[in-house]
Amino acid sequence: MGVSVIRYSPWIMHFNAGACNGCDIEVLAALTPFFDPERLGVRLAPNPRHADIILVTGALNKKAAERLRRLYEQTPSPKYVIACGACAISGGVFTDSYPVISRADRVVPVDVYVPGCPPRPEAILYGIKKLLDRVARGG
Amino acid sequence: MAVVEIPIGPQHPALHEPIMLRVRAEGEEVVEVAVNTGYNHRGIEKLMERNSWVRGMYLAGRVCGICNAVHTQVYVQGVEKLMGVEPPPRANYIRTIVMELERIHSHMLISAVMAEIVGFDTLFMLIMRDRERVMYLKELVTGNRVHADIHILGGVKRDIDEVRRDRILSELRVIEERLKYYRKVFEEDYTLLKRLAEVGRIRKSEALSHCLVGPTLRGSGVKSDVRFDDPYAAYSEIPFDVVVRDEGDSWARMVVRLEEALVSVGIVRYALEHLPQGPAVPKAFPRAAKVGEVVSRVEAPRGELIYHIVSTGGGNPYRVKIRTPSFLNIINTEFTYLGHRLADVPVIFSSYDPCISCTERVLVVDEKKGVRRYVSLRELARWGTT
Amino acid sequence: MAELSIGGYTFREVEPRRYVVSVDPGRLRELAELIVREESYLSTISAVDLPKENAIELNYVFWSTKHRVALIVKTRVSRERPVVPTIVDIVPGALGGELEAYDLLGIVFEGNTRLRRGFLVPEDLVSKGIYPLRKDAGV
Ligand code: SF4
Repeated sequence: MGVSVIRYSPWIMHFNAGACNGCDIEVLAALTPFFDPERLGVRLAPNPRHADIILVTGALNKKAAERLRRLYEQTPSPKYVIACGACAISGGVFTDSYPVISRADRVVPVDVYVPGCPPRPEAILYGIKKLLDRVARGG
Repeated sequence: MAVVEIPIGPQHPALHEPIMLRVRAEGEEVVEVAVNTGYNHRGIEKLMERNSWVRGMYLAGRVCGICNAVHTQVYVQGVEKLMGVEPPPRANYIRTIVMELERIHSHMLISAVMAEIVGFDTLFMLIMRDRERVMYLKELVTGNRVHADIHILGGVKRDIDEVRRDRILSELRVIEERLKYYRKVFEEDYTLLKRLAEVGRIRKSEALSHCLVGPTLRGSGVKSDVRFDDPYAAYSEIPFDVVVRDEGDSWARMVVRLEEALVSVGIVRYALEHLPQGPAVPKAFPRAAKVGEVVSRVEAPRGELIYHIVSTGGGNPYRVKIRTPSFLNIINTEFTYLGHRLADVPVIFSSYDPCISCTERVLVVDEKKGVRRYVSLRELARWGTT
Repeated sequence: MAELSIGGYTFREVEPRRYVVSVDPGRLRELAELIVREESYLSTISAVDLPKENAIELNYVFWSTKHRVALIVKTRVSRERPVVPTIVDIVPGALGGELEAYDLLGIVFEGNTRLRRGFLVPEDLVSKGIYPLRKDAGV
């Protein structure tokens, strides 16, 4: 329901949950005209209430995880989460360190995982495309 | 008049600790700023104590993705001292090339972000486009766009061959042209001058007593550059200038960066043309260090980066203390916002190059009316103009 | 080995451009004032826990832009009562370093009013009173 609405123009909110910035600059690069995400209708949303997709990077620092939970609640349904980078998927090199939770899916449900440390901008776009395809199929 | 409290962040990757700026404003005027951190603390110092010397190398790179090669360098050069190994000259040159490419892309990134913050979107897009050229070069040399991981104890992992060298040299010509153009834009454009000049001024004595480093310090007229004062890698053999400006405002800091990027192009070119012969990739590397301690410093794109490494012998570090440049530049600059307008806060903040994100968001709380709403840093930069 | 004398304190060169002096905590403020006059800034305060010697070693690393050398001041405090005087009023830039050392190792900088837990460390460790960078923290 309402899912087809986001199919054409998903807005993304990027949330850094304790990333090393490696993933973040690649997310930023992926959103510039060189890689042109707007051909998929993708735009950066300024605020969670406008977002359809939350893109999480980083190893989920405990303070930041609290924020992520709040942001997820503020985002209107239908909403999707992409975990971007080794850190958000498994904790990466920071697994088992005392300030981190290690996995994005321990805090919010994750729909797409994009591996890499950091993933290339192309990979991030591919992850978004995968999600959109799934949404189009009604999944 | 209502006193407004504005927490900026934390969902924005300023330094390796995304932070929160609590700004209190009376009307338009900023009266108090307090920095709140801990959103990106990952316990790396503790992790290093648990991991071997070699693994620490990868952890060091992952302190910050934007300046990862300098983090690896500062760690590796310290550990090499403790282990008593010397990298071959060719390896030193290759390390230098990678670090300078990183400096170019980092300085372009913050210039782009600054353009975006003041609402000059075209410039943002243009710089980001040209930055991809540098990323391409980085990939050409190291095999990775972001995490270079080219260092290894006692050398580098990949050599540079003739074909790659010529490719880099020809690409550098284009990059140099573009950088000169952007410097001109920052020096002459009316919008940028209006937003940056005279904003967030730091005097020379203040810069020193508040322990600021890097372009922020050099923008206030202090000639201090680790590459020059305390040479490491191949910097003692390469001629280059230290860029200093006396104005001390946000504009000076940005121009210092663009100048420096041009100097870096020169360094990469010189290093490629004078690449020493000989091996660069070691066949084996040591795994245990002697007892001792070392204070290792390098000049990261954002300023002096310092590691204090303590070894009690064996396969692990006993203690690694990491101090990143942004840590000083962000936490110790609370005083520079005072008296400026609310709309200047993002500009001053970005002029310290606090790593980046376009998604910074601010929560505006109007204490009198009790309303809360989110605005982006960009919107805040235009506060009062719309 | 070369030596450098600043106001009666003799710094010994341990490596090229690294000069070290060891003092009592009580002398810190006096020494800091002397060093600041040499056009220096404080690079970092590095605290090392030494449980075997029941001590915590503090390394104040200054960089003197005049002499172009690092001036390292070493001092020791006991683990049970890790108290040193603050130097924030002499070097305002020491703020970050002091906050960090307090939060991670529990060094109390007497006179610094802004010290608080949770500057970096997550809540759960703070509530248990754990200082993560102490060797016996068990995290
Ligand atoms: S996955 Fe790699 S690049 Fe991304 S935040 Fe983690 S360490 Fe950094």
